[in-house]
Amino acid sequence: MSENQNNSNCRISRNVLIKAPGLLPMLYRPREIAEDLDVPETTLRDWLNHGAPHSRDESNHIWIHGKQFAAWVDSQRNARKKPTHKLEAGEGFCMRCNAIVKIQNAEIRPIKGQLSHLKGKCPNCGGIVNRGIWNAGSSELPQG
Amino acid sequence: MLDRQNYLKVKLFLTYSRKVHERSLLQISTDFEHLKILLVWAGSQPLGSMHAFNNNLSDFLSQKVEKGLDQADVQSILKTNQRFLLWGKAMFLVEFQNIQLNWIMKITTISE
Repeated sequence: MSENQNNSNCRISRNVLIKAPGLLPMLYRPREIAEDLDVPETTLRDWLNHGAPHSRDESNHIWIHGKQFAAWVDSQRNARKKPTHKLEAGEGFCMRCNAIVKIQNAEIRPIKGQLSHLKGKCPNCGGIVNRGIWNAGSSELPQG
Repeated sequence: MLDRQNYLKVKLFLTYSRKVHERSLLQISTDFEHLKILLVWAGSQPLGSMHAFNNNLSDFLSQKVEKGLDQADVQSILKTNQRFLLWGKAMFLVEFQNIQLNWIMKITTISE
């Protein structure tokens, strides 16, 4: 029976990302996988609590399928990547909210050549949001 | 699904190589990568019956393993597997009794 208690993302080290594809298509004990991946067994058990695929037999022993675990490690690598999205006109990155926001009360100030400075406020936290823009025009200013 | 007992034998051999032959961690890691090919070749069958497998290890290497391997790599993999089998024959007398010594010595021969 498979157990997935918590599907939140785990921090997987580069060493594990490299070694995990080398796991064999067989059932491992947690200690064996920990040795093969060169991580402490407590870390591995933490990953199991965070949704790494595993099963228990009738004696309640934990078994981990090597290839399934390798696929999970790969999915964790992809899950941690932030979705990239090009900033649109009037948008900026708020360092407080750690998110892309529509800049409010934006002002454009020319710096040098075609480079301009867009400065405004975050609609969520009210903090100042700055953004450098090329070929600034009125389209860079948010509507409304 | 691979045979767990085969995997445990390989791990035992690596521990033996580390402690008795004092091989370095890098050598142990390389040996393990080489022996993984033997484990995949054996599949779910016990290593004691490997002499009866249809294809030999060097053929399996050329078919299944990435084509980037040169002759020296293949020879190195086969040598590691030969060392393991010689150790296995000495350690697991009953299980490896059907594997002849000359079969193990011929394992490094690469068929054309």
